Amino acid sequence: MSAQPPPPPQWVVDLNTPPTTKPKTNVADPPGYTASLTRRDRAAASKQSVRKQPTPDEMDTLKMKKAWEVAIAPAKQLPMNAIGMYMTGNTLQIFSIFMVFTLFKTPLIAALNLQKTFAPFETPGTSGRLIMVKIVYLLTNALMLGLGIWKVNAMGLLPTTRSDWLAWEAERTWSERAVPREWL
Amino acid sequence: MRVNAALAFAACLAPIAAIFEDDAYHIDFHYALLGYPKPEATFFQKPYAASKASLLYTVSENGTIGAINPKDGALVWRSDQGISGNGHLRAGEDQDTVISAVGNRIAAWSASDGRIVWETSIDGAIAEDLEILEQEDGISNNDAKDAIVLVAHGSSGVKRLDGKTGRVKWTFEDTSGDTPFQVSSSPTTIYYIALHSPLLGGGSKIRVTSLSPITGKKLDSYTLSSEGEVYTKENILFAGANTAAPILAWTDKAYKVLKVNIIGTKGVSSFNTPASESIESIVLHAPRKVNSLPHFLAEYQTATGHSAEVYHVDLKKNAISQAYKLPLLQGKGTFATSTTDANVFFTRITSDEVSVVASVSDGVLGKWAVNGSPSLAGAYPVHGVAEVVVKGNSASAIRSAALFSNGQWALIRNSEIAWNRPEFLSGTVSAVWAQLPEEESLAQQLEEEHHQDVISAYIHRVQRHLRDLEHFPAWLQNLPNRILGSVTDQSGSSTIEEIQHDTFGFHKLVISATERGRLSALDVGSQGKIVWSIDLHQFAPGAVITRPSLKAFRGFVEVKDPGLTSPLFINSTTGSQVSLEHAHNQWLPNLDQETLVTYKLSEGELQGFLGTESTAQAVWTFTPPPGEKIVRYTARPAKDPVASIGKVLGDRRVLYKYLNPNLVLVTAVAEAGRRASVYLVDSASGQLLHTASHYGVDVSRSIPSTFSENWFSYSLTLDSTSKASRGYQLVVSELFESPLPDDRGPLGDSANSSTVLPMGEAAKPHVISQSFQIPEEISHMTVTQTRQGITSRELIVTLPSSNSIVGIPRGVIDPRRPVGRDATAQEQSEGLVKYAPMVLFDPKWHLNHKYEVAGIKDVITSESGLESTSLVFAYGKDIFGTRVAPSFTFDVLGKGFNKVQMLLTVAALFVGVLFVAPLVRRKQINSLWTVPQ
Repeated sequence: MSAQPPPPPQWVVDLNTPPTTKPKTNVADPPGYTASLTRRDRAAASKQSVRKQPTPDEMDTLKMKKAWEVAIAPAKQLPMNAIGMYMTGNTLQIFSIFMVFTLFKTPLIAALNLQKTFAPFETPGTSGRLIMVKIVYLLTNALMLGLGIWKVNAMGLLPTTRSDWLAWEAERTWSERAVPREWL
Repeated sequence: MRVNAALAFAACLAPIAAIFEDDAYHIDFHYALLGYPKPEATFFQKPYAASKASLLYTVSENGTIGAINPKDGALVWRSDQGISGNGHLRAGEDQDTVISAVGNRIAAWSASDGRIVWETSIDGAIAEDLEILEQEDGISNNDAKDAIVLVAHGSSGVKRLDGKTGRVKWTFEDTSGDTPFQVSSSPTTIYYIALHSPLLGGGSKIRVTSLSPITGKKLDSYTLSSEGEVYTKENILFAGANTAAPILAWTDKAYKVLKVNIIGTKGVSSFNTPASESIESIVLHAPRKVNSLPHFLAEYQTATGHSAEVYHVDLKKNAISQAYKLPLLQGKGTFATSTTDANVFFTRITSDEVSVVASVSDGVLGKWAVNGSPSLAGAYPVHGVAEVVVKGNSASAIRSAALFSNGQWALIRNSEIAWNRPEFLSGTVSAVWAQLPEEESLAQQLEEEHHQDVISAYIHRVQRHLRDLEHFPAWLQNLPNRILGSVTDQSGSSTIEEIQHDTFGFHKLVISATERGRLSALDVGSQGKIVWSIDLHQFAPGAVITRPSLKAFRGFVEVKDPGLTSPLFINSTTGSQVSLEHAHNQWLPNLDQETLVTYKLSEGELQGFLGTESTAQAVWTFTPPPGEKIVRYTARPAKDPVASIGKVLGDRRVLYKYLNPNLVLVTAVAEAGRRASVYLVDSASGQLLHTASHYGVDVSRSIPSTFSENWFSYSLTLDSTSKASRGYQLVVSELFESPLPDDRGPLGDSANSSTVLPMGEAAKPHVISQSFQIPEEISHMTVTQTRQGITSRELIVTLPSSNSIVGIPRGVIDPRRPVGRDATAQEQSEGLVKYAPMVLFDPKWHLNHKYEVAGIKDVITSESGLESTSLVFAYGKDIFGTRVAPSFTFDVLGKGFNKVQMLLTVAALFVGVLFVAPLVRRKQINSLWTVPQ
């Protein structure tokens, strides 16, 4: 006996044939839902986001501002370094030696890399004004170096006293030599 | 708990200049010497009746009493009474004491440990002889046996001392004016033997007085006619002690006749001595024990050989007869007597053989060929004692302690030399550090290069290195041994080559001379090994050397002595004589720039002369104030390197040292004010730079002083009559150019200076002194020396009362120690601590640790090859040597360093690298070839 199977239920039909297009309804999208943009939409959006380019003057001001920040930066580290130096004491230890070494290294490297550091801020408009910034940068680095020298001096490593040059002082030569008779 | 840990840690950090335990007995050595043992006072004796082993007792010629363990030659005990003189030592049978008489002191010592049992002294006389009263009325006394003492040189007589207390039981006074010679005792009588010299000269008669042992009363007296033979005491050979038949033997000057008398009888037996060769000396050997057979042996010494005759005494007939002869042997030898029960044995000791005969017949009981020892090469036995073990008719074992002609006291056990003690080193009066010729020549060559220009110096050096290549194969051959030796810590024997190729410079030769004229070389680096030893008399026949003084030159030493007409020159490495027209003076090289001034003490004042001529007029004289007498002067050592010319203070400023090579410290004492003064004199100009006086000083005690760098120190004994109690002081003074830091004084920075020029007047040093109380008297002081003078110095003092040598660190006696306040942080950083008036000798400072270093006369120091280490050698009665590192051995690996572990670690790392290398390589290649993800 062959009997026709019953037609599938509606939900099965719905499942097998999902809606291909978004149903045109007047219902607004739920908040937070963004429909994927169509090409036209995208073109319209890009047309809207074009910003007005800053003028070279504005650019220069901005660059100068940035340059000043770079120049002042070592001075900002100075108090922290000073406290660190003070805390490590004047004894010769591996930590204080490392810290002093960095105190000397950083300003010297900074001075050597001066042009490189300020190259991004170099424009025809700023080059004149940058000299001042560079000098300040060098000065703040010199402050750092000064802190290092103060520390080294406190540690007694600078040859500033007479005892440091004692080895180069010679014993007096005497023009007479006296010996007991029995030594002869 | 934590506090304790912290304290323990702090204690570890504190600088302690001590001898490390593993260094003791390795870096130092000590010869605990007695001196030459006296033949009649040396014997084997059981320390107490039940003892199984016996000890070897002796009194030496310098009066030291001692006991030696015959097994190994170690000193068991000794006592140096400080009296050198004719010493006597006797021990009764089965007694636990030995009784000694040295000078006027008679003492009984516990035989096993040398503790004093009793002691007594004779007033106004000296003990001439000592005997133990073994038997009284034929009964032997088992309690403490009494001693019979013969006193002479003053009041003469015989005393009997109680063996328990030393109390005098009776005294027999001899007022006849005869010269007391000896006492002897038989079981019933005490015989007092004296020499009766006629007023008109000529020979002496021997007077024998018999005394009652109980009362000391004179029983009888008779005279033996010996005037034909006896002139001095030396002509009497023997006065028998404590035998059943005491004998008295004498001979004539030519040793032709031997006359023997049995004491107590008047008969004299006369024997002709062997006429084969001219006899040079006769020695009689007889047993000492009361119950032994009355036999004795006469030993005849000729120039080339020796022989003996054995005599028997017939007690019933009172007759003496010759029993047998021992044949003449070529070469020197000696005889020793030993007894077992009643049997008497004679031991003949020669340099290559020991043989034993019984006294009853001439059959040889035992004979041993002696294996030679390098220390006894060429020497012959002079006298000895022996112990024999006889089983049946043969001697199964023998040991004999003999003094050899080279001063070695050796024990021959059967045929082995069991030990030898270098007793000839005792009584060293002068010692110097030898300068070896080779090491000096290298210095000379370097000096030569220094003066040449660069190119020729370079060529010279290359040539020298090429010449050195000839040693290369030998060096290469030695290399495995050296590496093995350094790993296993074994130092080989010391030879001259080794001393020359010593890397660390610890092996230095000390040449020492004794008052008997023996010159020896000791290697301080290898436990004081005697490298060579010679008798100086062989180079100067006829001279009598008593006070030799040595001076070291390059490759040789110069020996001067009042008994020598001209100085002797002895090669430092071989001990042979070198002939030199004139010794090259060690001062002369520098004299092209400097004016030489010499000075000497004469007629109570110090006089300076230009040049070396003694005829020149004195350019300056230093005379102490009236009443004061100069006792000594101390100059800065000739070789005194100074590393730094200033002293760096805590605040890094500099106090400049006053460094003047011509400084001399003169010590003078005045009896009247009990005053001791020190004067610091510039010996170039004679200028007085500084003076200090101390009152209430015991001026009879010595005031040792020393000078080093820019500081000097001296030590005083304070008089007990002064207000302060008796005590000892150590004064240290330091000289600076100026009291102000960073100031070089009036001379400023000028590199040249002269104290003779007028500028000198102002340039007096600034002196800082401090005195410290010390617990003991110091008899001698010196300062350590190092190569560059960088290492801090140590003051080495000799303490005679505790027989020790102490090294006081310089920091402890720094005169800049703050007084009355704690040191500031800056002063602490200099190492200064608050002044404390008392300096106690820390046990850790004692260089001699467990050794008892007795009778030290002088201590000499020398640099070693290492900057950290200074060599120390002390001499006198004992010999002691060590090395000190006042600032620790900073330039050499310690003994605790494990070389094997280090080598194993390196090997393990190498193996590890071999394994890991392929892995790493593969990883690196892989990392290059794999595409990054």
